[in-house]
Amino acid sequence: MTRLAESPGTAVSTAPAQTEPDQASTAARILLWTAERGIVVFTLLLVLASVVFIDGFASPVNITDVFHRAAPIGIVAVGMTFVVISGNYLDLSVVAQVATGAVILIGVSNSHGIPLAILTAVVVACLYGLVNGIAVGYFKANAVIVTLATTYVGLGLLRWLSGGSIYFGPKNGVIANVGDIKLGPVPISAIVLIVMAIILGFVLSRTTFGFLVRAFGANNESTRLSGVNTPHVVLGAFLITALAAMVAGFVLAAFSNTAVSTMSDGYDFRALAAIILGGTSVFGGRGSVLRTVLGVVFVSVLTNVLVLSNIGYGWQQVAIGTLIVLAVSVDALARRMSKK
Amino acid sequence: MSGAPTATAKPVVIEAESITKRFGGVVAVNDVSVAVRAGEIYALVGENGAGKSTLMRILAGVLSPDEGTVKMDGRPIEGGTRAALDAGIALVHQELSLVPEMTVAENIMLGAFPTKGGVITPQKLRELAGEALREIGVTIDLNEPVSRLSVSLRQFIEIARAVARKPRVLILDEPTATLTPAETDYLLQMLKRLADGGLAIVYISHRLPEIFATCDRVTVLRDGRLIDTMDISGTTPDALVDKMVGRELKRDLEIVRESQPGEVVLSARGVTAPKVEEIDLDVRAGEIVGLGGLVGAGRSEFVRAMLGVDVRTGGEVTVKVDGRLRRVGSYQSAVRQGIAFVPEERRQDGLALTMSVSDNIALPNRRALATAGVINPTKQAAFAKELADTVGLRPPNVKRDAGNYSGGNQQKIVIAKWLGRRPRVIVLDEPTRGVDVGAKAEIHRLVRELADQGTAVLVISSDLPELLDLSDTIHVIRDGRVAGTLARDEADERSVMSLAAGESMVANS
Repeated sequence: MTRLAESPGTAVSTAPAQTEPDQASTAARILLWTAERGIVVFTLLLVLASVVFIDGFASPVNITDVFHRAAPIGIVAVGMTFVVISGNYLDLSVVAQVATGAVILIGVSNSHGIPLAILTAVVVACLYGLVNGIAVGYFKANAVIVTLATTYVGLGLLRWLSGGSIYFGPKNGVIANVGDIKLGPVPISAIVLIVMAIILGFVLSRTTFGFLVRAFGANNESTRLSGVNTPHVVLGAFLITALAAMVAGFVLAAFSNTAVSTMSDGYDFRALAAIILGGTSVFGGRGSVLRTVLGVVFVSVLTNVLVLSNIGYGWQQVAIGTLIVLAVSVDALARRMSKK
Repeated sequence: MSGAPTATAKPVVIEAESITKRFGGVVAVNDVSVAVRAGEIYALVGENGAGKSTLMRILAGVLSPDEGTVKMDGRPIEGGTRAALDAGIALVHQELSLVPEMTVAENIMLGAFPTKGGVITPQKLRELAGEALREIGVTIDLNEPVSRLSVSLRQFIEIARAVARKPRVLILDEPTATLTPAETDYLLQMLKRLADGGLAIVYISHRLPEIFATCDRVTVLRDGRLIDTMDISGTTPDALVDKMVGRELKRDLEIVRESQPGEVVLSARGVTAPKVEEIDLDVRAGEIVGLGGLVGAGRSEFVRAMLGVDVRTGGEVTVKVDGRLRRVGSYQSAVRQGIAFVPEERRQDGLALTMSVSDNIALPNRRALATAGVINPTKQAAFAKELADTVGLRPPNVKRDAGNYSGGNQQKIVIAKWLGRRPRVIVLDEPTRGVDVGAKAEIHRLVRELADQGTAVLVISSDLPELLDLSDTIHVIRDGRVAGTLARDEADERSVMSLAAGESMVANS
């Protein structure tokens, strides 16, 4: 604890007259700041540096592309922020949920029309939310294992139902046309992300439900002893995550006008990366939707820069993975040091 | 240390010279010097936040001082915990740090396993652990996993673990916080024996009677500064308290509350749960009922089962709401009927330490602060501020994280959470454990005010003066049953203790 504090001699002349009550050492406060707010600075620096130094980064075509890639992951991450803040680590089954949402949008629309596709997606999202939420919230099962298992079940069912085939929407159909809408360089997928972030940001920061999600993540026992039906809160967090994942599936499918059960591979980790780099603590309690959006921007811009610099997919993975190890370590260290 | 009034001729073992320690901008310990002699029990007292624990951790090498040195036999020690241990300084932590899954023997020898060629020798391990237990005079099966032992026994194992290192200085931080009076006596006798054998003991406690019964000298710290070092024989508890708080403090004992209990509000019949056997209990409006007994007698278990916090296997519990009896089933239904519960472990169960005071206070009051499921921040801030002022939170900054407050203030926050609901019944489990003298008096005042306003109050306390002081009626629990009930005028330390301990113990004393 003390080894990282400022050296003994320096503080003599600066001993403050007014007592500052926070007991955390300087090093702990710097770490905590980095873990919680560093993302704002890092994202700004990264975007500025990319605009200045990377050829083609600021071109409208490239910006649209960044938005397109960022949107579905962002929507998943914004929803999953609820599960992470509730202190239940993550929801791995978003991979299956996004793919299911995409296949439902194209597949069910093709045969039964768009309204029924939306209805089906909502029902499926509720099923995912209920199964994950009941197992984790009511039975206190481990979230990582439960959602790993529901991913397996979900993808298995999807492969069986779809026969592993690729679904194509009709050319110039409603889905294809909506998927092509743009406001300047900003595609509709990014607009959906922004709308989702605003709604879910409000839910998390201002509503009673969002407050309970944060309180449960900060201390589940004190929340229970305050008279809160805590299993309900966990169930709600998983439901929101599942609904957001369905929306992400729709966005993903509408963009390419196709759907296949493998199209969301890796979304679990990339969404988690955005959440963690955004500064939402995996220990629960601390975090926000806005931070997750910043995390998404950071990860997407970084990936884009690596692509533009002709750095292959392998090295992109190495870079993101390394950043996550650093981010969770800083978070854990800051948390330990700031504890009295 | 110069100026310390003592005639003892024993040599100084451990010495702290002009220690200063800062955390950020806070000076936790300010130019403090102490010296402890072989064979003496040296008390360190002060309110929470006075710097006792920090000073003690510096002595044990857990923290390094910003200025000053710690010396053992006149030689400075540097190099953290390891160096301190090697020099013969052993620390018994306030928080229990045992590994529940490991056996008694393994826990005692943890970190110092005897090995042969890198392999642990179980025979030797048990032998050494047994030796340490004999040294402190406790008999426990060495192969028992610690998870099966009571909190009190774990405390003794913690001490055995320190003693097993064959230290020359033993430092104990609130070792009796979780012990019953009988166990406390036992521990104090044991410390005296160890001191007679030449061990230097540094003893931290809020409980003044223990200090006067056991210690040779006492140092009072306040706001990180050394106020005075005295021979115990040359001072009185009142004088000590005055030095600790730096102001005249009214003794609670003389306060007599005008209690006019009303109708029965909380009623429990035949409550049964693990460690609880068919307990009946009534609490009237405006009445303070105390639950006394030894630690492990089943008081917390009873209260938690009664309120539905833990599983209740039998019995009926009702609350009178506006003249009608309502059954209490789940804990949530208990809260809905107007019951408030202040749990024993406030840091673990009472507060979200990483959330603001305001958010903690809002938690049970969220419905009152929200319109259509959206919380009104202005309303929340005003609400939290008012309650923080009511309980006397210092500093009254509701935006600060609850974890940044001292134990006494944290307990005030837990109480403030419930005050906002104007509870019909409030149940407090060990409300002032580990809380400093000043905050303790304020918490007592709050509890009395609640009762005066007609709240039915149920208090569990292992602090006998507190129990006697607060309660209108005391039920003493023994082995999961009510061993006896005492009215305020028939209750004293002796009557409560003899009921709590049962016949055999009384015969011994």
